[in-house]
Amino acid sequence: MAKPLAGIRVLDFTNAVAGPTATSILGDFGADVIKIEGPDTRHLNPPGAAPPKPGAPDEPWNRVIHFNDLNRGKRGVVLDLRRAEGRALFLELAKVSDAVVENFSPRVMANLGLGYPDLCRVRPDIILVSMPAFGKSGPYKDRISYGPGIDAMSGLSHLTGYEDGPPSKPGNFYCDQNAAQLAALSLLAAVRHRRRTGEGQYVECAMIEGELQIVAEALLDVQMNGRVQTRTGNRHPWQAPHGVYRCEGNRDEGIGNSGDEQRGGAGRGVLGRPQQAVSDDEWIAIGVETDAQFAALCHEMGRSELAADVRFADALSRHANQDALDAIITEWTSHENKHALQRRLQAAGVPAGAVLNVRELLEDEHVLARDAFQDVTYPDLMRPFPHTRVAFKLRGRHASRIDMPAPRFGGANRPVLGGLLGLSQEMLDALHTSGITAEAPVAAQGAGV
Amino acid sequence: MPGALEGIRVVELAGGRSVAYCTKLLAGLGAAVVKVEPPAGDDCRRSGPFPGDVPNPEASGLFLHLNTGKHGVTLNIEQAAGRALLLELLAETDVLVEGFRPGVLDSLGLGYEALSERLPALVLVSITPFGQDGPYAHYAGGELIAHALSGYMSITGDPQREPLKPYSTQIEFQAGLQGALGAGVALAAREQDGHGDWVDVSAMEAATFLLGGPAQIAALTDEVRVRNGTRLIGLPPRYFYPSTLRPCRDGYVHAHTNIRHPDLMAALMEQPRLAEPDLLEAPAAHADEIDALMDEWLAWHDREEAVRLAQELRVPFTEVFRPDDVLADPHHAARGAFVELDHPVAGTLRQPGPAVRLSATPWRVTRAPLLGEHNAEVWGRWRTPAELARLRALGAI
Repeated sequence: MAKPLAGIRVLDFTNAVAGPTATSILGDFGADVIKIEGPDTRHLNPPGAAPPKPGAPDEPWNRVIHFNDLNRGKRGVVLDLRRAEGRALFLELAKVSDAVVENFSPRVMANLGLGYPDLCRVRPDIILVSMPAFGKSGPYKDRISYGPGIDAMSGLSHLTGYEDGPPSKPGNFYCDQNAAQLAALSLLAAVRHRRRTGEGQYVECAMIEGELQIVAEALLDVQMNGRVQTRTGNRHPWQAPHGVYRCEGNRDEGIGNSGDEQRGGAGRGVLGRPQQAVSDDEWIAIGVETDAQFAALCHEMGRSELAADVRFADALSRHANQDALDAIITEWTSHENKHALQRRLQAAGVPAGAVLNVRELLEDEHVLARDAFQDVTYPDLMRPFPHTRVAFKLRGRHASRIDMPAPRFGGANRPVLGGLLGLSQEMLDALHTSGITAEAPVAAQGAGV
Repeated sequence: MPGALEGIRVVELAGGRSVAYCTKLLAGLGAAVVKVEPPAGDDCRRSGPFPGDVPNPEASGLFLHLNTGKHGVTLNIEQAAGRALLLELLAETDVLVEGFRPGVLDSLGLGYEALSERLPALVLVSITPFGQDGPYAHYAGGELIAHALSGYMSITGDPQREPLKPYSTQIEFQAGLQGALGAGVALAAREQDGHGDWVDVSAMEAATFLLGGPAQIAALTDEVRVRNGTRLIGLPPRYFYPSTLRPCRDGYVHAHTNIRHPDLMAALMEQPRLAEPDLLEAPAAHADEIDALMDEWLAWHDREEAVRLAQELRVPFTEVFRPDDVLADPHHAARGAFVELDHPVAGTLRQPGPAVRLSATPWRVTRAPLLGEHNAEVWGRWRTPAELARLRALGAI
């Protein structure tokens, strides 16, 4: 059966996280994604390279973990867009593509002569999806920022954190994956519109505007009540108990802690980092929604009397007295294993889940049963690469298999420029000789895109 | 101008945030959305903020935001008369979005098998905390529990303190977004072969999707990265720094180096130390020292000034804005990022406008529906006024 997006070709001229993620989603469902890189855009000796398989070529740039994760399933072409021949080939590729996706700051595409009007000249019904941080207009249009900086400007960082602590990052970043999904969704909608009308269009996916959608409660509270919401840790506006509780420590696992490391430790491990044992990062999340669940929790704690305690008898009282309640629960969970406790509380109908670290996540029975990651074999790597899949399955089609690893640097130069554009062997050789294309990154200083 | 999803008919079986956000996005892209609420209303109507902090199901800020661009009807699908009416509507529907626990639709005779037999082109989007199958499918809990199990809490917060979840219900919003994307993919597939599909969304996996790298690093190198306070995690010592949140004279900034030109930090702060070779060789290993040097400079600079000076040098600093700052931001005013919507009960509010801007098929935002506002218009297509009166008396609408 054809994959859902078979027949859609996307020219991917993106970097960092948001853009590559958007196009990788499309690739997972069968779009032909052609990834364009400059001759110097992958580090020659990247710090985040996975260990090689014995006998693999000495090409660390083909083992960059972040790059490979976000670019699986794409075909890789290297073009020097600082040169006219490179730009001409880009336009030739645009001519045979349904959509172009880019996420550079607004001036870059126009300066290269690859803006929307330029693309329309070679393909009038092209769809261009741009993913600027702040948009192509307005006072911040020329600002530069990565994902965490946009999380800061949306209000999400201010709103995330401990009650008594500073603004915090949600994970590493939030707006990148958020914008990626919005861009992929919009691209599909634009493709549908073109199928019906023949009309292409320009899609502007300003990352900050995608993120305003998910802080709306706080924005409306300012208008409705003059209230400036702030950080409340893991607490819920009206439910209690609602938080994470310390569990029995498991000191045998040898967890590497980037926190200590980045505070000045000397690195030696595979990524320049020793493994360190972190004890005591064992927690269970418990979030009680109803009185019945609270009674069940009290029963499991062997403290059934608490369900009738005036301090905790209903949600309002529990919320008002949650410091005391949290102390009681912690006293109990501190001696329990988080995994066993999760099973036991869930069996009793109490919402509870272990806080999994990323290794535990990869081994979690539910994650395995749901195929939340798909292992893909890379020729250069010791181990299979677990690619994160989207959070939905098409149950009738089983359609989101990742068919190819991420491209080797310039790995599809010849199949794409020769096969798709029909360039002769001699022309391909000439492009290689003149450095318009490359199969290994060149060391260049700062210039270009 | 038409919407990009013009002609796509969506029905939402209301119940919570993720399904509401999913269909809000589809409505923004031009789909015709009918939100079907139980007679008591969507749970979101009971979540604040409310004007003057007075709970009112017609004035919930959350509800008003999550339900722009939709028609609203009521229907009790636990009654046979309600289900019969729903099936009339579904016969003219492309996408049905629901968020009941696994098995609930089946028990009402509305599971995917039953529906697809009758309506083979229907796309059913089911959004649940843990997905339709697997050992946790029937687990109790939602946002917090899915967050914990997803791994995302292990990378949010201070390493010396308990793991954190981000503000509000980000996973429910992300699950809604994944559901909208899933609907888009299923509709594209339907164009090939005419068949619908069942899009099974797991909120837990929506959070796992946000991890951005640490799981892959753990699998390939055995290093388990955990939360790193305000700093970006997963950066080896030789990698760039700063990428962190720091206090300044009147608030906080997000401080980030120019990755290609790390020496610009020294120029910005007039701190030669920030450009010395040993520091630039391994910035992340000098994070504490860099923080201290930055703090000296930031203590003398306001948020706006620090960001302006940094951005002038192409160093990507940004402000940590509070919600009131965001509303007052001239950038959003210039771009029309907020739209003023008049609501008969809640009054005039500035709500987030387009999530994405499509030049030929603009994003749509109109005010959220009142409870049962479009009952006569929608249900009147299949039932006479007398029949509707009887259904109303039965409590079906």
